[in-house]
Amino acid sequence: MSGTLNRREVLSGSVLGVAAAGLGGAALGAAGPDAVAATPAAAAQGSPARAEIVLRVNGRDRLLAIDPRTTLLDALREHMALTGSKKGCDHGQCGACTVHVDGRRVLSCLTLAVAVQGKAVTTIEGLSAGDRLHPMQQAFIAHDAFQCGYCTPGQIMSAVACVHEGHAGSPAEIREYMSGNLCRCAAYPNIVAAIEDARNQMERS
Amino acid sequence: MNYDPQSLLGQATPRVDGVAKVTGAARYAADEVVANPAYAYLVTSAIARGRIAGFRLEQAMAVPGVLDILTHENVGDALKQSPPGPDGKPSTTTLESERIWHDGQIIAVVVADTFEAAREAAHKVEVDYAEERPAGTFGDEGTQTEPAEAPFGPNPEVGDAAGAFAAAPVKVEARYATPTQHHNPLELFSTTCAWEGSKLTVYEPTQFMHGTKARMASQLGLDIQDVRAVSRYVGGAFGSKGVNGRAAWVAIAARRVGRPVKLVATRADGFTTNSYRAETLQHVRLSAERDGRLTSFFHEGWELSSRPSPYCVAGTEQTARMYACPNILTRVNVVHADRNTPGYMRAPAETPYMFALESAMDELSYALGMDPIELRRVNDTQIDPVSGRPFSSRSLMPCFDAAAVRFGWQRRDPQPGSMRDGEWLVGYGCATACYPVFTGPAGARLTLMPDGRAQVAMAGHELGTGAYTAVAITAARLLGIDVDDVTVSMGDSDLPPVIVAGGSSNAASTALATAKVCEEARRRLAAAAVTAADGPLRGLDPDALVLVEGRLRHDGGAEEPIRDALVRVGGRLEVYAEHVPDGLPRGAVAALGDGQLLFQHNGNRSDVTAFAFGAQLVEVRVHRRTREIRVPRVVSAFAAGTIINPMAARSQFMGGAIWGLASALHEATELDHGAARYVNKNLADYMIPVNADVPSVDIIILPEKDERVNALGIKGIGEVGIVGMNAAVANAVFHATGKRLRELPIRAERLL
Repeated sequence: MSGTLNRREVLSGSVLGVAAAGLGGAALGAAGPDAVAATPAAAAQGSPARAEIVLRVNGRDRLLAIDPRTTLLDALREHMALTGSKKGCDHGQCGACTVHVDGRRVLSCLTLAVAVQGKAVTTIEGLSAGDRLHPMQQAFIAHDAFQCGYCTPGQIMSAVACVHEGHAGSPAEIREYMSGNLCRCAAYPNIVAAIEDARNQMERS
Repeated sequence: MNYDPQSLLGQATPRVDGVAKVTGAARYAADEVVANPAYAYLVTSAIARGRIAGFRLEQAMAVPGVLDILTHENVGDALKQSPPGPDGKPSTTTLESERIWHDGQIIAVVVADTFEAAREAAHKVEVDYAEERPAGTFGDEGTQTEPAEAPFGPNPEVGDAAGAFAAAPVKVEARYATPTQHHNPLELFSTTCAWEGSKLTVYEPTQFMHGTKARMASQLGLDIQDVRAVSRYVGGAFGSKGVNGRAAWVAIAARRVGRPVKLVATRADGFTTNSYRAETLQHVRLSAERDGRLTSFFHEGWELSSRPSPYCVAGTEQTARMYACPNILTRVNVVHADRNTPGYMRAPAETPYMFALESAMDELSYALGMDPIELRRVNDTQIDPVSGRPFSSRSLMPCFDAAAVRFGWQRRDPQPGSMRDGEWLVGYGCATACYPVFTGPAGARLTLMPDGRAQVAMAGHELGTGAYTAVAITAARLLGIDVDDVTVSMGDSDLPPVIVAGGSSNAASTALATAKVCEEARRRLAAAAVTAADGPLRGLDPDALVLVEGRLRHDGGAEEPIRDALVRVGGRLEVYAEHVPDGLPRGAVAALGDGQLLFQHNGNRSDVTAFAFGAQLVEVRVHRRTREIRVPRVVSAFAAGTIINPMAARSQFMGGAIWGLASALHEATELDHGAARYVNKNLADYMIPVNADVPSVDIIILPEKDERVNALGIKGIGEVGIVGMNAAVANAVFHATGKRLRELPIRAERLL
């Protein structure tokens, strides 16, 4: 087809990014080691192992007692009622779960929650300032850059990072660097137009 | 109704649910928060045919947090009725017995305190099977073939196709094959069930709220009034979100553990526990006079299905109606194998069957030495060749002409392999797109508030089609208020029933019901205004009053603000209305509430044959040495009657064209024949397009006024966009290379 994309390169690039962020998170996690040590006792009582962790999400610290295997995505969705981040594959193949960890785009389904303690997690719910939409959110509406909307939080989080990374210089570059975010409704041309529009606004402000 | 839908509708409007969707506030089924949920995880069959000899559950039950494991050995008669296939007919079963019908069949449901514990335990469930050798698809030993019972009437047959073919001066005969494909909406299949006493609430993405409600009631043996289905936003559906074998078990599990239970099936489970587009084989014969006029058309299809299901799509219903032809013979067969039951996937019948017809038309154009667009012009018709009835409107050639100009079709050198750009062989291809018009019943409730704002409520479905927005636009235009002043509620079976969001029927069905309820409100306001003791409209003809610009206005100029008119009916006006298409019973909306499906379509209307049409043109580039295939340009023109919202419509046509491109070049679910097992059950190996795959897609929407199709002239747009692309790409590849590929998808290795 027309693009020069190698989808596996794009995907593996994202995965490596997540892995790197995860290691850093574990090393820095304030509550990490103690919480993990506490899990066998919990298991012996017949309920799932729990780790107590603190996550900083959208500027707020949240204390959670979760199974240490819990992904960041499930922690957000099932334990913090932050359901804007979506589960589309749980395998790092679709990008619907994309969030920011310390400003970088990360696949939250491939990131363990315990690994991002001490890091700043931003989700789609934390992107806009109050009622004022982020320019990327505005542009997605203006360009009709979604249909069902399920991939949209991930697309927008990825798109904001794509601009910050300096990878939104041309439509071809945007297409390449946004190819880790699948859209089954195939709003792709509108997504590219929205990102170009938002990039201009973000650069002005 | 005293208005012109063409002038009333058709202004580009950003989606009213846009803010909800870009902020993460839009609640999809699995986003619904329920108190203290337990989590379910499916265990699926590792064999395709045979039976379960026994389970060993000790290790799984020992996982901390596991609450219950449902298997056929312990569920008793909790399920009162097995879910049917998508056509309402028998299908494969799950925990009803030890029987294994297909690989990946649900055989146990693990429930635990956490998702992580449920997943771990599911992997520790051990199963002993008594395995039999499966048949996976066409050509495998053990399949059974039988003539299909077509869903919309007998296979079209006119005149003497065999005789005309034998006598014709120009003829083509070919066999085509289309692959298994899966919808893969981005949203995973999910079900959350919560009991409150004997009342059940099910949160599940569905294309038919009241169908989900009725199905859960019948499967669980509940009073239908005790079930509520909620599905406010659906994360893509494309035909996949309806009847399924999972939902009732989640409800049963929730009853057993005494807590709400939430299931989010894995991506892999979605391939085998839900439906898909079945693979087809097709045989086509076309003959023509030397001037290109068709003399005969023969089309036979074979479609794969599961062992118990007779499901088929029978696309000859459409292909037989495409062109003027005096002799037509069609046949459809179902081939049963050890597979899950297929189902509706975006343009279910048209996508595979029009690939065959439109490829054969291209082959015929070369046999005739005629431009392929001209061949379609010679055979264009305003009369349905099967029924003899007129098309309600048919703008096929205007679509071809508009697309050809935009595309630059006149630059095409007809000789295959003649157009080159450096190392690239360039090909132009075209095909007809079509989709029949389905319209269903719908109820709608309208509340006009004292301040003149409106609320419309109906159990409609927002799948990404812009359903909330289309209803808001329709209500706003008919009530003479701003779109911002209309609030639309959908996605809850407590609201008035609406037909399934399928068959591209959503816009017409919901808009017609909305128009009806708005007309009822206008009528009541007008009646009150003309009979009032005072006021500017007293004594005027109520039928000469319209709602416009926030006012109730007489065509003579007298008017009053809608708020004043509302005071005369008590300040707040609530009205309910139903739209039932001609030919359906008066109680059709109530029947929807019982889960019945009732459509007006070409098979049951006696006045016209109604289709949306389109023309799809593509440029293909094939590398001279590597055979890499690229599609730099797609131009598609559509005429589909009244367009409510051109902004969302363009997006949907564009998405359809990209679906079609992916169908032609990427998408196939690969089968391990020996095991009858899908091998690429994930989004990295099942190739849906990514952003960098998508070329320039140019969409032209032709104005088309259709006064016969329905009162608003709406035909539906969700599916037609995909239909012509398979053949357009294949035809362009032939033009580029001289190699005719009759099996999809077209990949570089098939061009070597």
